[in-house]
Amino acid sequence: MAEAAIALRPPLIEGNKSIAQVTHDVCAPMEARPTVLWWAALLVSFSLLVLGAVAIAYQVAVGVGTWGLNRTVGWAFDITNFVFWIGIGHAGTLISAILFLFRQRWRTSVNRAAEAMTIFAVMCAGIFPVIHTGRPWFAYWMFPYPNTRGSLWVNFRSPLVWDFFAISTYFTVSAMFWFVGLLPDLATIRDRATATWRRQLAGVLSLGWNGSYRAWQRYEVVYLMLAGLGTPLVISVHTIVSWDFATAVLPGWHATIFPPYFVAGAIFSGMAMVLTLMIIARRLMHLQQYITLRHIDRMCKLVITTSGIVGLAYGTEFFTALYSGSSYEQFVFLNRALGPLFWGYWTMVGCNVFVPQLLWFRRVRANVPAVFLICVLVNVGMWFERFIIIVTSLSRDFLPANWFHYAPTRVEVATLLGSFGLFFTLFLLFCRFVPVIAVAEVKGVLNIGKPGQEAAHE
Amino acid sequence: MSQRRTKKHGKSFEERDATPDALKVLAAEFPKGGPRQFRRRDFLKAAGFSVGAAFATACSRAPVQRAVPLLTQPEEIVPGRSLFYASTCGGCSAGCGVLAKVRDGRPIKLEGNLEHPVSRGGLCATGQASILGLYDSERLQRPWKDGKVTSWVEADREITAELQTIGRDHGAVRFLSGTVTSPTTLAAIRDFLKGFSDARHVIYEPLSNSAVLDAHQKAHGVRVLPRLRFDRAEVIVSFDADFLGTWISPVEYTADYRAGRNLEAKRVSYHVQLEPRMSVTGSKADQRFAVAPGELGLLLTHLAQRIAHKAGVPFAAGEVDTPSLKVAVLDDLAERLWQARGRSLVVCGTNEVQQQALTNYVNHLLGNYGSTLDLEAPSRQVQGSDRELEMLLGELRSGVVRALFIHGVNPVFDLPGGEELRSTLRKVPLLVSFAQRMDETASVASYVLPEPHYLETWTDGEAVTGVVSLSQPAVHRLGKTRSLLETIAAWSGKLKPAYDIVRESWKANIFPRQKKEPDFEAFWERTLHDGYAEVAAAAIRSQPFAAHSVQPILHAQGLDANSFGLVLYSSVAMLDGRNAYNAWLHELPDPITKVTWDNCVSLAPSAAQRLGISDGDVLRVETTAAAIELPACIQPGQHDQTLAVALGYGSRLSARFANVGPQWIDARLSVGDKGVVGANAAPFLSLRDGGLHYGTAVVRLRRTGKQRQLACTQTHNTLTVPNKLAPKGSGPRPVLEETTLAAYLQDPHSGVEDHAEKEDLWPTDHPYLGPRWGMVIDQNACTGCSSCVIACQVENNIPVVGRDEIRRNREMHWLRIDRYYSETASGQIEVAYEPLMCQQCENAPCETVCPVLATVHSEDGLNQQVYNRCIGTRYCANNCPYKARRFNWFNYAHDDQLQNLVLNPDVAVRSRGVMEKCTFCVQRIQEAKIEAKRRGEKVSDGAVETACQQSCPAHAISFGDLNDPNSQASQMMANPRRYRVLEELNVRPAVGYLTVVRNRAQEGMEGSIEEHHG
Repeated sequence: MAEAAIALRPPLIEGNKSIAQVTHDVCAPMEARPTVLWWAALLVSFSLLVLGAVAIAYQVAVGVGTWGLNRTVGWAFDITNFVFWIGIGHAGTLISAILFLFRQRWRTSVNRAAEAMTIFAVMCAGIFPVIHTGRPWFAYWMFPYPNTRGSLWVNFRSPLVWDFFAISTYFTVSAMFWFVGLLPDLATIRDRATATWRRQLAGVLSLGWNGSYRAWQRYEVVYLMLAGLGTPLVISVHTIVSWDFATAVLPGWHATIFPPYFVAGAIFSGMAMVLTLMIIARRLMHLQQYITLRHIDRMCKLVITTSGIVGLAYGTEFFTALYSGSSYEQFVFLNRALGPLFWGYWTMVGCNVFVPQLLWFRRVRANVPAVFLICVLVNVGMWFERFIIIVTSLSRDFLPANWFHYAPTRVEVATLLGSFGLFFTLFLLFCRFVPVIAVAEVKGVLNIGKPGQEAAHE
Repeated sequence: MSQRRTKKHGKSFEERDATPDALKVLAAEFPKGGPRQFRRRDFLKAAGFSVGAAFATACSRAPVQRAVPLLTQPEEIVPGRSLFYASTCGGCSAGCGVLAKVRDGRPIKLEGNLEHPVSRGGLCATGQASILGLYDSERLQRPWKDGKVTSWVEADREITAELQTIGRDHGAVRFLSGTVTSPTTLAAIRDFLKGFSDARHVIYEPLSNSAVLDAHQKAHGVRVLPRLRFDRAEVIVSFDADFLGTWISPVEYTADYRAGRNLEAKRVSYHVQLEPRMSVTGSKADQRFAVAPGELGLLLTHLAQRIAHKAGVPFAAGEVDTPSLKVAVLDDLAERLWQARGRSLVVCGTNEVQQQALTNYVNHLLGNYGSTLDLEAPSRQVQGSDRELEMLLGELRSGVVRALFIHGVNPVFDLPGGEELRSTLRKVPLLVSFAQRMDETASVASYVLPEPHYLETWTDGEAVTGVVSLSQPAVHRLGKTRSLLETIAAWSGKLKPAYDIVRESWKANIFPRQKKEPDFEAFWERTLHDGYAEVAAAAIRSQPFAAHSVQPILHAQGLDANSFGLVLYSSVAMLDGRNAYNAWLHELPDPITKVTWDNCVSLAPSAAQRLGISDGDVLRVETTAAAIELPACIQPGQHDQTLAVALGYGSRLSARFANVGPQWIDARLSVGDKGVVGANAAPFLSLRDGGLHYGTAVVRLRRTGKQRQLACTQTHNTLTVPNKLAPKGSGPRPVLEETTLAAYLQDPHSGVEDHAEKEDLWPTDHPYLGPRWGMVIDQNACTGCSSCVIACQVENNIPVVGRDEIRRNREMHWLRIDRYYSETASGQIEVAYEPLMCQQCENAPCETVCPVLATVHSEDGLNQQVYNRCIGTRYCANNCPYKARRFNWFNYAHDDQLQNLVLNPDVAVRSRGVMEKCTFCVQRIQEAKIEAKRRGEKVSDGAVETACQQSCPAHAISFGDLNDPNSQASQMMANPRRYRVLEELNVRPAVGYLTVVRNRAQEGMEGSIEEHHG
């Protein structure tokens, strides 16, 4: 019976790897000198990062007026980028926590990188709530900390305060989860290290991991608990982010559908980003046998599922507007589809609803360049989704005299590019210094030791 | 003592027991040798050094900062409390009464004088903004000679010497000024000129109404402007007179007009406006007809013909062209006027004598003289004579004028042929300007003897015969300026302060004209306190109407198809250009176009469509006289073949605004290519046949291909959404409600049916136990004049942000006036205004979303903004359905230390990155509360007046405690016309609006101008 099942199910890791081979495959790129390609990629990312840093420094020095915002449109690129990056992070948590709880063992090849992506994306996201304020040097006033200002507290009714809690919790849990998962691999690095500094650093970071039964048992328990903690966060964080809009009175923002809609959208965009990164990483680091077409296929299925939910949400919004009987509400959606930013709306719908439909075809899912392209488009579409929600609702709200368009400035565009620079810089560094694949976990999904497999390893 | 010595003290057991470990620790903790002794010699050394150091640093002298208390402390001055001095506004010649609010020795705000019989509490935008002129750092502070600073003594000596020579040679001396309403100044000029054999005082106004005077001269034998009483008129017909906007005395007329249109007092006049462009007055009319500029005379003739027919008077009109208006419209107009004879008023705003004569004739036939036109106590607000100006220009060209004094006008800028005039003026041997700023004329003058600002000196005024007012200084002169009165006195060798001159003149001339006060001192004191006095008017010997003065105008000045007539008008902000120095007024959105920091060529939408012109296309307008390039502005309601350009722009005084506003990498200049704001349209004027003409034919109109995006504060102009985006069955948004008089009379709730108050499901969890502040704005009274906008800006230290920032929709005005166009079934354009400020919602959406509690609700219903706490997330502004909040995108400049003196010390100057908004003038509420508390009383109704309310010439704003059922605001809230904007959101705004009620039988009635030109 068991033999039959194994025979039917293709192995998760291809190439009949031995345990030692796995360790070697993953660790070798870190121990070798970086490739020219890596240097080139880092140069580009880091340049973007510097550009963004300069833009932010200028904006903080001179004022938020250096952005294209106005008295009608008070948020645009800033909060769009924030929601976009927070959304990206969600796939990581989904893969690491939810898929773990559901015993989806294929996740082992991608969870490390996905979690790293989560952390970096949250770091990118975290910049925006701070710099979007008029006085970023006082942004810490959003923290509920004991103070001497007559013990002035934060406003617990404000979704921005909820945001603060949601994101800080999210970052903390994600970082912990990632770090705990890294422990056995850090120990591997320590053990393989030839350079003293490397051994000492990995030694400290691996917290004295000795691979004992007791260590493994505790590790598994902690990991399971963190997965349990992480799971609700997948839902809660983007729900709370969506409340930034849903609790407002603005037509187009004030919508009860927002929490599920945003969560689905977040997973959608996150999956697309994981795919984008994985496709690059497996190619650059020769990990095709670890991140197989099967992995890509499964993630594509998640993308198409969430795309469907997002598409449904788009339709529901129109229905809700129609059903509301409020002409303000109806106008906002007509304005989204046919108004001055119609091209943005249709970019969003095209990229998020129509393009992913290609993934219904197995041949498309198996075509790595096609998947890559679709995923990039999904990310473009999801960025536009947030942009459209924020800007179209603000720019044409209740009183027609207030209507005003929005156009970004150079500073804003540079800041957006800078966030990508930060993200990719961190990711490239991650690829260099941390095993991109969870070595210990992958070993668990190898078929070694299972009936019918000995022969292959003889 | 000895007992204590035997006792062993230790810090710890270890120390006491002196274990080796403990000793080691102790040794490490305290250095050997025990505590250091501070010996006497050490002390002396240290003390010596300290004292020496103190002396050394004290050797350089610190800057002396004098804080010398007044030798005799004036009784009434309490630091931190404001004093109000009654005075007269010097913004224009209308002579409105003001109260100058003086705080710690400096005037910071002007308030309308409620008791003043002419202005009755209101003040216009120019008046409100005129205080900025006081603190203008580019205002001349001392006399100039040929571009160099000189001294008064020297200037006086040289000028008197020269005058003596001229007097000996019997040379021609001319004094050129704008309208002077001050009897003392007029007398002084007269006396001064008496000393010369060939001397004349020539008066002109750049916005001339000389024709009105000439027509009265012809018809009644007196060259005066009757005082117009719009309050007594039941039917008002205005031929292109923008009497609510800029014509002659808008504050007075607005107050009158409002009095005649008071639904609560059951008085509603009927107002018809015929005009080529959309004016502020036209926007309030019950019926408005867009007519070609050249056709006004013809229409007047038609009207006169009909009225004469009704009066049974022969009126030889002969063959009159058929007008573009429907005959029925004219018949109806004539009938209405005739029905209201003696209670009607026809006014004409053009500067054409023939048209003015026809207007007078119609008024005469209607018996309006003596009721709505007061010739007994006429206005003195208009005195100019274009004919005399024309003569003077001729004299100047011929070079006979030896000395020319120029006061209050800027002929090089505001007259046609300015360039030529500049070179002519250069040839005048003695050219003396009294300008306050180095304007176009002053820069060619041999001497510039700057006058002080009107808040720095004594003068008087008699804007309307019989109403004399005093103008008293509210601050010590900021520079070494000298008033005209003093200068003239100095030249005649009797140097005297203006105070003495005015007082003597009043004692001799004004005091005898009244009988109330037997004692001059008491009269003076009372007038000084009140700001004005009513005295007997000098008898005017007007003759009975001379019918022969009227000549019919038989033909319209025709325009070929596809040609345009150009109309030059004055904007509310710039007037004739006198406000070109004023940043507040440059940034004031025009009431109609909402354009700031520019003048533009407005043209009708149909014409724009025909020529393929869109907003911001730079057009080149050429007439036979001149050509200028200005951006286009499409203006609904304008006559199809009319182009309109505002005068007063393009002054060199506006060059200073190039870099106003924040400077950053994408910032653009606030001025145009020529380095000034807008372009001067005065070259299009023509001065011929004894009149300045404000209309001309356009020879060529073409697009230059350039673009200049207008800095406009409103981009969507109707209450309806674009057709393509309109949800099925949706009409205009119910955020501004209008109705007709007929519907109102049937049901006073007409128009506000959608706003019926619904029962609330939620309990009132925060009841207002004390007062709850609220405001009601009567949109029917609001004329859009924008005086409130400036009043708010002055009161609340609102920064000027410059053209580029306005272009980016970042104006900072806390109070804005939304202007919406609507189109009637017949295609007529109507305008309605909605002044909008923070609505101080009870369920404020902004309050819940602020993460740091920077905006909170007060117990008296105010939505408070705590600048110090604000971190600038802008969430509150996003969530404000009214978008009433303003964000400090940058640190707005407060570098001009002199200009900073105008800042209101009761209001914080906001820094970069914080949100701000209307607070219902919380500083005024607070002041009234403190005052009431001091007296142990409750705050009485009317004790708090917001700045906007105070300034409104139409008294359209009521403010007060909504919890007091007897307060004015409560009563207005109970008005059946009241609705609240967006109340369906249940934000419960504290501001109520009263519907616009147009005096009409029904909606269809205005559909009677189908075939007006086109």
